Amino acid sequence: MTMICEQERTPLEAVTTRGPTMTFKQKLFLLAGASIVAFSSSAFAASTVRVTIAEYSKGTGPYFQEAAKAFEAANPDVKVQIEVVPWDSLQQKLTTDISAGANADLSIIGTRWLLDFVSEGIVAPLDEHIKPEFKARFIDTFLTPSVMNGKVYGLPIAASARAMYYNKDIFAKAGITTPPATWADFKTSAEKIKKLDGETYGFGLQGKEIETDVYFYYGMWSNGGEIVKDGKSGLDSKAAVETAKLYKSFIDEGLTQPGVTSYSREDVQNLFKQGKVATVITAPFLSGQIKTEAPKLNYGVAPIPAGPSGDQGTYGVTDSIVLFENSKNKEAAWKFLDFIFTTEQRTKFDKVENFLPVNAEEAKDPYFADNADLKVFTSLLPNARFAPVIPGWEDIAKTTSNAIQKIYLGQGEAEATLKEAAAKINATLK
Amino acid sequence: MQRATAPYFLILPSFLLAAAIILWPLKEIISLSLHDVNRFGMLREFVGLEHFRVLFADPDFIAATWRTLVWTVCVVLGTLIVSVPIALILNEDFYGRGFARILIMLPWAISLSMTAVVWRWALNGESGMLNSALRDLGIIGSNIQWLADATTAFPMQILIGILVSVPFTVTIFLGGLSSVPDDLYEAASTEGAGRWDQFRLITLPLLRPFINIAFVLNTIYVFNSFPIIWVTTQGGPSNSTHILVTYLYELGFRLGRLGEAAAVSLIMFVILLVFTIIYVRLAMREEKA
Repeated sequence: MTMICEQERTPLEAVTTRGPTMTFKQKLFLLAGASIVAFSSSAFAASTVRVTIAEYSKGTGPYFQEAAKAFEAANPDVKVQIEVVPWDSLQQKLTTDISAGANADLSIIGTRWLLDFVSEGIVAPLDEHIKPEFKARFIDTFLTPSVMNGKVYGLPIAASARAMYYNKDIFAKAGITTPPATWADFKTSAEKIKKLDGETYGFGLQGKEIETDVYFYYGMWSNGGEIVKDGKSGLDSKAAVETAKLYKSFIDEGLTQPGVTSYSREDVQNLFKQGKVATVITAPFLSGQIKTEAPKLNYGVAPIPAGPSGDQGTYGVTDSIVLFENSKNKEAAWKFLDFIFTTEQRTKFDKVENFLPVNAEEAKDPYFADNADLKVFTSLLPNARFAPVIPGWEDIAKTTSNAIQKIYLGQGEAEATLKEAAAKINATLK
Repeated sequence: MQRATAPYFLILPSFLLAAAIILWPLKEIISLSLHDVNRFGMLREFVGLEHFRVLFADPDFIAATWRTLVWTVCVVLGTLIVSVPIALILNEDFYGRGFARILIMLPWAISLSMTAVVWRWALNGESGMLNSALRDLGIIGSNIQWLADATTAFPMQILIGILVSVPFTVTIFLGGLSSVPDDLYEAASTEGAGRWDQFRLITLPLLRPFINIAFVLNTIYVFNSFPIIWVTTQGGPSNSTHILVTYLYELGFRLGRLGEAAAVSLIMFVILLVFTIIYVRLAMREEKA
């Protein structure tokens, strides 16, 4: 931007030297030129960093606006422009912006998309900026998913894991004292809950839209399965087939809410808040929603039930903030990144969003350290599985969701349907 | 010579405008559909008709094409059948007609996505308004999970489609009806024509051009209509309620297969083009006769 100012100035000086012979018109031009330069230098003196932000909740936009202001106050030569986009249209916006070369300098993306961005050379590695002091701020588990080919391509802006929320009142009414430790226990509990009134269901099962596949993986991991093993889909493994049959038996015996394929994650969470399902497996942010929307709900958080051989898994998710390769303000953009990953800023943000702390210092804050719900989530992290680093993750997620929806609806036999899906995924993985 | 070139010169500005907003994107889409494209729209090598071959081998695409046909025919015909009597009633002079007209037009003022969101809530199996209304009326004993399965979800989507197309269609018909002179009916009734004959022999033929225009415009809108299906089911469960436009969106912006998405949009363009040509031909033949 300073370049523009200099170019403006050169002709202006040329005119000035002609001083004595200037006509009135020339003087007018000079004035106009001077005012343009004055105006442009005030508007462009600062370099502008554009940041695309995914809207996690109502608090996301206001938090980032406030952070941008605080950053600008400390760095008067940089302006930060925040663009808030709903999660649902983030992919579409990024695709169209990038293809038109109109993308921002920084953007939040799902870490599961990162490989596609890296292999196309869209995002810049951050290693030259990362000092040991900066790296030490992070809890390693959350930084690792953004590391590819030994380089850091993104910073974990949001981190989350999954655990089972259960309704203590419903459990007590059905005579169950502890949350189920295994899937077999879980089924017995769900059967007891079914006998209560016929309108309360033990297992809130998601069967629609984003993360339908993940809801299936919870059981699959407990049974010892993997999404991808040795470069091949694990969907046709014994663990996957057993899980499909297990979930289907929950559905057929009326232990889930009816019509699971019409319930998205939010829909199941709503059923839980209304006390219609006794359990739901989801992320820490549900605690925050319950606090404001259903404060009387008596609930607890427990690990996802284990499988017969004790296997147990939770899904770890991070979203990354990335720096685009075509950014013209990499230095300024990095300064902003450095700022929002300070302990103070991270603590503010994670409190607004109910995310897990990614910063080691931040995790010591009593808000996180003494929170009973969050403690369960953090205790599960050593076993957390992150989305595997494979190309075409969204394609694979979609194929998996389609297959298990067919099974849930009874339109396909578990083994055959999963085999077909696994073949399709293997073709994508090649 | 000058005479012959003048007309072309005069239409040049509008031709350039049309070229900029229609032909240029068309050229871009064609080039996308013939190349290997990465998920960010960057062209790689030329692949010829490969994307089309993949699509025609894809059972979900074929099913979505047939479903689009069913969707368009059902919504357009349903709308026309429902709208004619409504327009006839609203054309009668009765107390509160202005109010009734506003009521019919009101849904038009709400954005389609918003209407679709409201319906998604209304169709919710456990807490939806439709189920609780039907239960209160004693029509159903247990909740129906409307959106869980295509056999109930797709008919409901067609019903919503009809509902939101009615205001526009009724408006066109009311305009048509107001242009039918009253003395025709007076003459007919002196000659002994009953109300049904009046409708069949006077109203319907005079309304014909308006029905035609409503038919064409609705067909184009409905064929390309995205929000109802995307908001209620996103084309699921298991791709069973996709129509071409939702399938295109999913391919392009969810799965990052922009080349195939461009091919779908070209196919949709050709289908609509053929439809329009056939229609214009028929309309012109009628005018000549």
